[in-house]
Amino acid sequence: MSALETSEALASHSPADRRVEVKGLSKSFQLARTTIEAVRDVSFDVRRGEFVALLGPSGSGKSTVLNMIASLIRPSGGEILIDGKRVVPGKATPDVGYVFQRDTLFPWRTVGDNIGYGLELAGVPAQQRKERIAECVAQAGLKGFENAYPSALSGGMRQRAALMRTLIVEPQILLMDEPFGALDTHTKIDMHEVLLRIWEREQQTVLFVTHDLGEALTLADRIILFSARPGRIKDMFTVDFARPRDAVKVRETPRYAELFQHIWHSLGEEFVKGRSA
Amino acid sequence: MKTYSTLNTIGWQVLICAIVLSVWQWGHDLHTTLPWLVPDLLDPYFISKPSMIWSNFLIQSCLTSKLGVVNGWFNGDFAKCLARNENNLWAATAITLKNTFFGFVTGVVSGFIAGLILGRSDRLSAIFQPFITAVNSIPRIALAPIIVLAFGIGDMSKIVTSWIVVVFLVFFNTFEGARSIDEGFTNAARLLGASEWQITRTVVIPSTMAWVFASLTPAISFALIGVIVGEFIGAERGIGRLIIESEARGEASGMMVAVVVLMLVGVVLSAIIWRLQAYLLRWQRQRSAE
Repeated sequence: MSALETSEALASHSPADRRVEVKGLSKSFQLARTTIEAVRDVSFDVRRGEFVALLGPSGSGKSTVLNMIASLIRPSGGEILIDGKRVVPGKATPDVGYVFQRDTLFPWRTVGDNIGYGLELAGVPAQQRKERIAECVAQAGLKGFENAYPSALSGGMRQRAALMRTLIVEPQILLMDEPFGALDTHTKIDMHEVLLRIWEREQQTVLFVTHDLGEALTLADRIILFSARPGRIKDMFTVDFARPRDAVKVRETPRYAELFQHIWHSLGEEFVKGRSA
Repeated sequence: MKTYSTLNTIGWQVLICAIVLSVWQWGHDLHTTLPWLVPDLLDPYFISKPSMIWSNFLIQSCLTSKLGVVNGWFNGDFAKCLARNENNLWAATAITLKNTFFGFVTGVVSGFIAGLILGRSDRLSAIFQPFITAVNSIPRIALAPIIVLAFGIGDMSKIVTSWIVVVFLVFFNTFEGARSIDEGFTNAARLLGASEWQITRTVVIPSTMAWVFASLTPAISFALIGVIVGEFIGAERGIGRLIIESEARGEASGMMVAVVVLMLVGVVLSAIIWRLQAYLLRWQRQRSAE
């Protein structure tokens, strides 16, 4: 048993504190004639305002879990509660924002119109919308690009715009599926800074899927480690760096190196298993 | 790659036009001296020649009298000439254009709506698929005589013929477009709280637009073809009617005038579509600065 494990700490949360509850979740896909078990009996809770990283090799079902929480995929078994209410597959849960791995900015809308999309859906008047868009554009460092189309932007800029499109409707729960996976290392760390600043201010509950241990350590309060297929929870780790964090400096602390090494071996085993599977 | 100036390109285009027109105009004059070089097809009896087409154009459009005298605007000769022939070139062009327009618009609108509905519904597309394939296998032009029989020799039969060739083209493109929508876009919209109707309006329609536009340039030519064929089969007015009349008189120039007018009409209509497309799909033009 790892000293860093937090199962006892988890048990001490009062039920009211639990924002997201995942209970005995499982998912199997039918592919041709074989059944693929993607997720097996996954249970965890996420506290209000907690930043949780779901870490694991590709094919460990972590994205599948996230998509089930987002109501995009129907679970084969188990249930998900958000604020005590059951998630209904195919029906978006209010207050839940989702950031995709691949930015899904609408290419036919300008950057500004993309960011303001959620407000437009909600019927927010144009004038009010314009002000909010301007704020978000400034926050994302996209000033001067409001009227450009996404195709004119770099990968990092697009992902910032996509992040703002999700954040403008002020979701209380943020689901992120490897949002920075396609970015180069520097752009990625820039994005970590942007995300950390926003999260420190808004204190959303975040579920962040990644296969990048460094990213998980930089951002999260807690790391849930997934095993190779079928995806199960292998371990949980508390990341106790002080807040607010600096995305660059945190990587230079001895504690970071210690945690990194500790989790690395556990993660590495799953990568090997994932390869042979 | 070597780049060429616009002037250079235009120069070549002018040269090609000059060669083609020259051969057309004077090529057959060499027929008696060099019979092995000049095919019989160059005979002006079949294909007329540019100078004859031009003077025929002036006559058919009432700009000059049959003797080549300019019809005055102020002395009323022009108006009188127009009144004499109710299927004069202007009236014929107007009627053909009008019918093309209605055939095109009704075809595009109905094809688009049907494509959208079936493209978004697996159930409906499964039910209608065999019927659509069957009807699509009919060469639509083969229906033109039936349509003229059913709708008479007036404008309606031309509009229907035009509609029937356009509607399938637009339908299939819209259908494919609606089928191939990136799920990421619909998911993103849904997670931001979009209703089904909002998804249709803000995601499905814009992302299908590129597909629809790809079909509009051929659709406008098809619409024109539909009207002309309808007019061939039975009509009192229109450019197709002009061609049939000239053919009956064995008058190549008259037919060529009609063909040239059709070409110009086609070019103008395509240009309008291009401008519209460039505006509505402007988001496709900006390329990444990376």
